[in-house]
Amino acid sequence: MFLDHFEYYAPATAAEAFALAGRLGEGARVLAGGTDLLLMMKDKLIKPCYLVDINGVKEFQGINYEAGKGAVIGAAVRISEIEHSPLIRDKYYALWQAAGELGSVQVRSMATIGGNSCHASPAAETPPPLAALGATVVIAGAAGKRELSLEDFILGNRQTALKEGELLTGFILPEPAPRSASRYAYIGLRDAMEIDAVNMAVNLVLDEDRLTVKNLKLVMGSVAPRPLISAAVPKLLTGRKFEPMLLEQVAAAAAGEAKPISDIRASAEYRREMVAVLARRLLQEAFDAAREV
Amino acid sequence: MKKQLIQLEINDLIYEVPVNPRDLLVDVLRKKVGLTGTKKGCGQGDCGACTVLIDGAPVLSCITLAVACQGKKITTIEGLADAQGNLHPIQQSFMDHGAVQCGFCTPGMVLTAKALLDRDPSPTETEIKRSIAGNICRCTGYKKIVEAIAAAGATSKVEVQ
Repeated sequence: MFLDHFEYYAPATAAEAFALAGRLGEGARVLAGGTDLLLMMKDKLIKPCYLVDINGVKEFQGINYEAGKGAVIGAAVRISEIEHSPLIRDKYYALWQAAGELGSVQVRSMATIGGNSCHASPAAETPPPLAALGATVVIAGAAGKRELSLEDFILGNRQTALKEGELLTGFILPEPAPRSASRYAYIGLRDAMEIDAVNMAVNLVLDEDRLTVKNLKLVMGSVAPRPLISAAVPKLLTGRKFEPMLLEQVAAAAAGEAKPISDIRASAEYRREMVAVLARRLLQEAFDAAREV
Repeated sequence: MKKQLIQLEINDLIYEVPVNPRDLLVDVLRKKVGLTGTKKGCGQGDCGACTVLIDGAPVLSCITLAVACQGKKITTIEGLADAQGNLHPIQQSFMDHGAVQCGFCTPGMVLTAKALLDRDPSPTETEIKRSIAGNICRCTGYKKIVEAIAAAGATSKVEVQ
């Protein structure tokens, strides 16, 4: 379980990081928390020649919120910082929930929000809530800056839209809509240090009557190669008064959209069943919470 | 590959150690600095035996590069007792409650507990369990460990008052 040789760089500024990423090319990997990267290197799944440690880059740190505009979360922000942020809990509840369920205390102290999306595991905790909350990723390199929605950033199992020489620098979360609430839940074999068999995030916005669904996003994790945005559930609920009676039909629609596989963590059949359970549970929870906002 | 001399601040002392970029903190602590209290269990970040504190936060030293720890404060189990050799209240509590069996998980458990109690001196039982969920005890002596942490929290709270 030793690491192969590599050269180590620790840029102090974003400009230095972009220059290094551009100069070192495809042999370079970004070191953020290291909780996935170093394991892949130990297992010899990847053999980078260079590691660019971005933890010292100030521009990639911090959670900055501006009322009415939303929040910007730096790519190198630790999961534990999100877990302990009253702001994230208040405004982006589903993300706060997901952060608290990731790995263990140690993993959360090390792992970063940027790394969780860049690793692009289909079972990752934070991409579904980020997508449900309408997150945009900021990508930059020596050549310039671009923005993408999170669902356009994660392309498949361990595949992202990052091009050579580009780095993910942060996430932009829009200000939550009035009368909205978000919720996250997962199914796994244990409470900690497990890989989710299924996870899901819901963001639900109500009309002024606090009964009619104005807008809704439901995102499933671990049932497709990348976060799966439900098309059927918003179609069934948007513009309608939320009633518990509808939930059976809606949950079945979500389960129908899931494309799970069978593996050591769960069978495809079980996963599909759990999609229905989580959809029912989270939509009800989000509706109840949105009524109170 | 050429080694470089780096400075690491471990338990309030500065050590100069020659390292390769690929050297992991757990190996540097054990083999180069001689602090063998930090244990290497699974080597892949699952078991928590290698937990140390970096700037007060519990991290897994088996998946941390030593070279990335320059300029940070590293605390290992050897750094918990005071200068006179008096054990830290959490260590004492582990002894008082019989929370040590084979002892391999103990340094990691104690340091994870310290990070928790530094943040919140009176955690609930559930919070304690959640906090040590990344520290595996193969002897399965969790009940006494949870009790020891709860008691240590209560003690340090009394001390603060």
